[in-house]
Amino acid sequence: MKKAMKGNISLITGSVMVAITFSLLILSFIWTPHDPLEVTPDDSFAGISSKHFLGADKLGRDILSQIIVGSRVTLLVAALAVTIAMTLGVSAGITIAVASRKLQAPMVYAVNIALAFPAALLAIILAAVYGASTLTAVSAIGLATAAAVAQVTRRTAYGILASDYVLAAHACGASTWRIIRKHVMPNLRASLLIQASAVVSVSVLAESSLSYLGLGTPPPAPSWGRMLAGSQQYIFVNPLLAIWPGIAIVIVVLGFNLVGDGVREVFDPTLRRSDS
Amino acid sequence: MSLLEVNNLTIAFGDKKVVDSISFTLEKGSRIGLIGESGSGKSMTSLAIMGLLPDTATVSGSITFEGQELIGLSDREHSHLRGNRMGMVFQEPLTALNPLMRIGKQIAGPLMIHKGASLKDALGSALELCTKVGLPDPDRVLRAYPHQLSGGQRQRIGLAIALACEPALLIADEPTTALDVTVQREVLNLINTLVDQEGSSLVFVTHDLPVVSIMTENIAVMQLGQIVENATVASLFQAPKHEYSQRLINAARVAEDAFSGTGGIK
Ligand SMILES: Nc1ncnc2c1ncn2[C@@H]1O[C@H](COP(=O)(O)OP(=O)(O)OP(=O)(O)O)[C@@H](O)[C@H]1O
Ligand SMILES: [Mg+2]
Repeated sequence: MKKAMKGNISLITGSVMVAITFSLLILSFIWTPHDPLEVTPDDSFAGISSKHFLGADKLGRDILSQIIVGSRVTLLVAALAVTIAMTLGVSAGITIAVASRKLQAPMVYAVNIALAFPAALLAIILAAVYGASTLTAVSAIGLATAAAVAQVTRRTAYGILASDYVLAAHACGASTWRIIRKHVMPNLRASLLIQASAVVSVSVLAESSLSYLGLGTPPPAPSWGRMLAGSQQYIFVNPLLAIWPGIAIVIVVLGFNLVGDGVREVFDPTLRRSDS
Repeated sequence: MSLLEVNNLTIAFGDKKVVDSISFTLEKGSRIGLIGESGSGKSMTSLAIMGLLPDTATVSGSITFEGQELIGLSDREHSHLRGNRMGMVFQEPLTALNPLMRIGKQIAGPLMIHKGASLKDALGSALELCTKVGLPDPDRVLRAYPHQLSGGQRQRIGLAIALACEPALLIADEPTTALDVTVQREVLNLINTLVDQEGSSLVFVTHDLPVVSIMTENIAVMQLGQIVENATVASLFQAPKHEYSQRLINAARVAEDAFSGTGGIK
């Protein structure tokens, strides 16, 4: 790993950013400067001070403490959305790619319908049935992005299956299953990493929007998305309120994207600087 | 019983016949050259024997291999023969290798699939195969990725993979077209030597008469999906029966003159 990091600026920067987010997560279980939910009317819109390092919101709740605890929702959202979207999307995409031509058409059709289905509508339906929560928002996001992942996976897998080296593998007597494991998956990996980091970005941002619409994490549990949304009406009174959760979201989204990009370089032997 | 008997083999995409009722037989340990211009159906014939035609193709006629009918054979049954009883070498040695898999594992593949070898044993055999196909420093080659080898080295790897399970039949589809002339000769000689050593039969596909004359005496000339002439290289040069064969010979003469610098092209 050490060797892989060398000179790989994306990977180094991204890892640092992701590490910061995870440190916040760990910290949230150990210590926060204040109780993030503690309302202190005297501190309403307090600026940066030794009491509130990042200031306080309208109700006088400590921003830093909310950011620290908010990392839980963000990372939970990212982890669950990626798991749902990648598991469903990749297995559907590969299944369609290797299916017989007769079966392919209806399956592609189904994916296209799923693609056209708005995530927000799905979130509303889930929220109506189960009550709005982080979980319903994440399920909606995961399911909606799974269709996009399936689509990209299918197209990339087609290309791989049509390649000479897959024909050569067939000529060696390899079974379909072996070809998926040994040839399709490794050559899909770069594309999957990019998709996974895109899903992280999309899901973190989407959870913010859904929370704003009341379709995600319900108050008072702090989430970066809701902090950002809540700061909107005070943007001119107190812009810092929007900046802190904004920075937090940028760090996690950018961090995962850079890691995705950097790891791709590590996996591709033709992009590697030194070898064997 | 012949090793391979092709009878009235016809391959079509929709109404378009790309191979039109061709027949030939190949005895154990003997060779045949399939020669013809681009699009004449040489690769489709090879792929039909391997059971690797695209599923849009419709096939009729008969191919018997070691007494077994291959047309209508399930893909699963056919896959037991591929890489095991019959091996294939492809035209483009770079694209025919998985860019993300080390060479060692790629050579080990057929041994693990067909002989139930463990990865460790298969890599051991891969090392021997590397030596057999004349690759220096086989330890390094096994650990390398395809892009780290030269074209000639890659095609030697292709040959090692095809011959790993000691197949009765080797199909080489323009194996040297992508290589430069000096390397071409080396690889052709290597195929010659190994096929003799193993006692395998050879189907050698090319559009180049001088190349095929290095590999085999017996040739079948293909044009527009049909075999228009069955002949030996010598008889073809002396008295081509078909007008198309004459054109191939002329092309070969021009090429030969150009190579030997006597100025065939004036
Ligand atoms: N998947 C396909 N669908 C339709 N037609 C095809 C397909 N694959 C090949 N063909 C056609 O089949 C014919 C024979 O192709 P084939 O690859 O056997 O030619 P070839 O003799 O090997 O030529 P070359 O020397 O260029 O390799 C060509 O006319 C080609 O256009
Ligand atoms: Mg061809």
